[in-house]
Amino acid sequence: MAEKGHAKRRKGISFSDFVYGAVIAFLFAPLVVLFIYSFNNSRSGSWHGFSFIWYEKLFMGSGELWHAFRNSVIIALSSALTATLLGSLAAVGTSRYSFWYRPYVKSMSFIPMILPEIIVGVSLLVFFAGVGLKLGMITVWIAHTTFNIPFVYLLVSARLEEFDPSIIEAARDLGATEVQTLLRIILPITMPGIASGFLTAVTLSLEDFVITFFVAGPGSTTLPLFIYSAIRFGVSPVINALSAVMVVGTVLLIYPARNFLKAYAAH
Amino acid sequence: MKRLLRYATGLAVIALILGSSLDIASCSKNGQASSEPKKLYIFNWITYTPDSVIAKFEKEYNCKVVYDSFDSNETMYAKLKAGGSNYDIVFPSADYVSIMAKQGMLAAIDKAKVPNFKNIDPLVLARAKDYDPDNKYSVPYYMGAAGIAVNKIKVKAYEHSWSILSRKDLKNKMTMLDDMREVLGDALAFQGKSVNSVNEADIKAAEDLVNKTWKPNLLKFDAEAFAKGFAAGEFWVAQGYAENIFQEYDPAKRGDVDFFIPKEGGPLYIDSMVVLKGSKNLDLALKFINFIHRPEIYAEFCDAFGFPATVNVPARALKKGDMWYKPEDLTKCELKLDLGADLDKYNTAWQEIKVGK
Amino acid sequence: MKHNLGSSYAAPQALWLTVFFAAPLAIIIAYSFMKRDLYGGVLPQASLEAYRSLANPTLLVITLRTLWVSLAATVFTILIALPCGYSIARSHNQAMRLFLVIVPFWTNFLIRIYAWIAILGNEGFINDLLRALGLTTDSVQFLYNQGAVILVLVYMYLPYAILPLFSTIDKFDFNLLEAARDLGATRMQALRKVLIPNIRGGLVTAVLFTFIPIFGAYAVPLLVGGKDSYMLGNVIADQVTKTRNWPLASSIAMGVTLLTGLAAVIFAATSSRSNHHVEEDSGIGSVSATAGIPSGGQA
Repeated sequence: MAEKGHAKRRKGISFSDFVYGAVIAFLFAPLVVLFIYSFNNSRSGSWHGFSFIWYEKLFMGSGELWHAFRNSVIIALSSALTATLLGSLAAVGTSRYSFWYRPYVKSMSFIPMILPEIIVGVSLLVFFAGVGLKLGMITVWIAHTTFNIPFVYLLVSARLEEFDPSIIEAARDLGATEVQTLLRIILPITMPGIASGFLTAVTLSLEDFVITFFVAGPGSTTLPLFIYSAIRFGVSPVINALSAVMVVGTVLLIYPARNFLKAYAAH
Repeated sequence: MKRLLRYATGLAVIALILGSSLDIASCSKNGQASSEPKKLYIFNWITYTPDSVIAKFEKEYNCKVVYDSFDSNETMYAKLKAGGSNYDIVFPSADYVSIMAKQGMLAAIDKAKVPNFKNIDPLVLARAKDYDPDNKYSVPYYMGAAGIAVNKIKVKAYEHSWSILSRKDLKNKMTMLDDMREVLGDALAFQGKSVNSVNEADIKAAEDLVNKTWKPNLLKFDAEAFAKGFAAGEFWVAQGYAENIFQEYDPAKRGDVDFFIPKEGGPLYIDSMVVLKGSKNLDLALKFINFIHRPEIYAEFCDAFGFPATVNVPARALKKGDMWYKPEDLTKCELKLDLGADLDKYNTAWQEIKVGK
Repeated sequence: MKHNLGSSYAAPQALWLTVFFAAPLAIIIAYSFMKRDLYGGVLPQASLEAYRSLANPTLLVITLRTLWVSLAATVFTILIALPCGYSIARSHNQAMRLFLVIVPFWTNFLIRIYAWIAILGNEGFINDLLRALGLTTDSVQFLYNQGAVILVLVYMYLPYAILPLFSTIDKFDFNLLEAARDLGATRMQALRKVLIPNIRGGLVTAVLFTFIPIFGAYAVPLLVGGKDSYMLGNVIADQVTKTRNWPLASSIAMGVTLLTGLAAVIFAATSSRSNHHVEEDSGIGSVSATAGIPSGGQA
């Protein structure tokens, strides 16, 4: 790290570190509020004493919530998997080869990001109706995969961009087949891109509300949909408890992999 | 990197397993195996039928109720109109019953299979004639109105009238629903006009009242979180639905809130149960409708939300809980009906209200 | 270069997106040119009504307001994200710092918004604090205005800006700063004239990935905004759900897409005019890095 070349390191906190600290406090403030209120002994906004009742309710009396949670997880993992498969493959295809519809593929990956979600949701709804596909888990899965593909594609493509093609040439010269090249060389190198694409897809899918609302069918409520309807009717303390559980759970899950997060951000 | 690979493979395997369970999960369309209990698909307002009632029905008729919710008639209608949803029972409001009937989306209700229909208040049925002559397609579920909730601790003296919204001393402490028909309807009623008026002068007068007199005192238009904000003390006067407001309060503190239907009247709503034309469980759906109108069940429903038993007459005697307003309060209220093409007049007025400073 | 293989690899995705994205998109474009059905949906008749309705002064007001709010939110976000990205890039524990930035994303965004309402409300944390300190007697109205919308939007989109900026700054050769200092530049000058131009690629991407979703924001103005916070995202939603005017919703959506698309193209064009080799990478790399962040057109 010495090559980074610090100016003489002043004692004390630098301006940028100070801003970073403030930002982290800012980002976490609402979470702290949520966490504290999940232990509130009343459903109102003011503090009435410490209590575990909402956690009890969360784990004992919230069948619907867990059903929605289960749906969310299923959809997130399956749509992320599909999107990762399709997107990674396509990225390999467009980065290494040139073919007639390559520009089409590349531009299709950009458009979803600038279209308002409500329009995407409504158009998919109309489309499903038009082809006679009944709304349900399948339609949600299709919708989620569709909006996940561009992110996976871009992430993997970026990873491939900085990949030195001469390695492949070398492999070729040494007699590697296409499959071998794919599995032994390309796959490992693009793994950070693929992994971050997959994670991104899971996150996007878990969070999605607007699009899911329009394409979900009977019994395929996801967690964001459930929370939306629950919040309107004040079941929030249980949701605070759920949020606390989710944050703690995710932190525990992801913490071991935090080093790879760096690769995720820096592709 | 190896660890990552294993991590990723593990996730992928889980995803595959779960993904294939997706198929099984989605296999629960109509036409399930005969050994599985029958399923009834209901599309209702968010939390409009108590879980206890649903549980009782499931038990008695040995079936499973799948309950999906919507937060507005329009989103419900948008979903159904585009097709592709196989619900059996839906709970539209009055104007949407007539719209859906005109669009051929509803199945006629065989009253012979709904003997408890006789429990319904003839006054309600009379009103229902305006949107569903002969009650061919709908069975009334609940009749009510939005009103005004006042935080008694912060606001001491006030009239039970829409005029409270013009009080400058309550500036920025009041909200109204983000609902075009509700807000304009309130203004029209206050000015002595019909909430279904399509007279342009009436509408303009209502628009001006809202825009120039009421809106400056309002903090915002909110149909999502007005109850939470009210309960948190963000605002002291909220035009909205009683059940939302009181749900936010611990029973001990409910005395802090006064809810009233203004004396000038206002928009009234009747939500009904309808059966969709494509329903595959017609019989079960009718049984459900009949079940709801059992006096003790209807009373249970009303008690859960603090409603007066407006629709079902025998239930009134069986009610045990509080009521946030009484059926008599609704006499001056007027049912919101479908306005057809004239809705655009309201649209334009509402757009002006929403956009301006 | 073999042609066939590439096209076979890309074929599944291309097929999927054509069926499930291009087709629905075509439907929406078609809708914008059709006549509206009174009861929602469209009638099979061509009509330019939806586009003519765009020439509406209130719509212009809303567009300008949306533009203003989006620009303000974007500017604040970038200004704050820059030092953060710098701080993370220079730290010895980058992974940990990044982790802290990303963790808040693992709560549902609706809940985070409601938590802010609890903090900023009249009976909320900040007002309680101000009253306790004796600084105010009445509560300060933080919520339900444009300021609140901008604040919460900045909150939602900071990570989107921090990550790509971190990524580019990370690749920056800090020796250049040293060199500039040695040549007599002040700290500020060095940062301004050496660092900023060299991270232009990441900067552009950060701006794009913040501005574009913010412009189409819907939920944040709805929940924490007031009478003056009705934005384009809300208009589109209302046209679909409340006034049942799908052609108009589609035409507005087309307008929004064109505007943001235009902004994206202009920005991307300026970023490609870089001459530094490292820039090239950070341009695309930043795109990918930022693409790795949950996008929130729904915000």
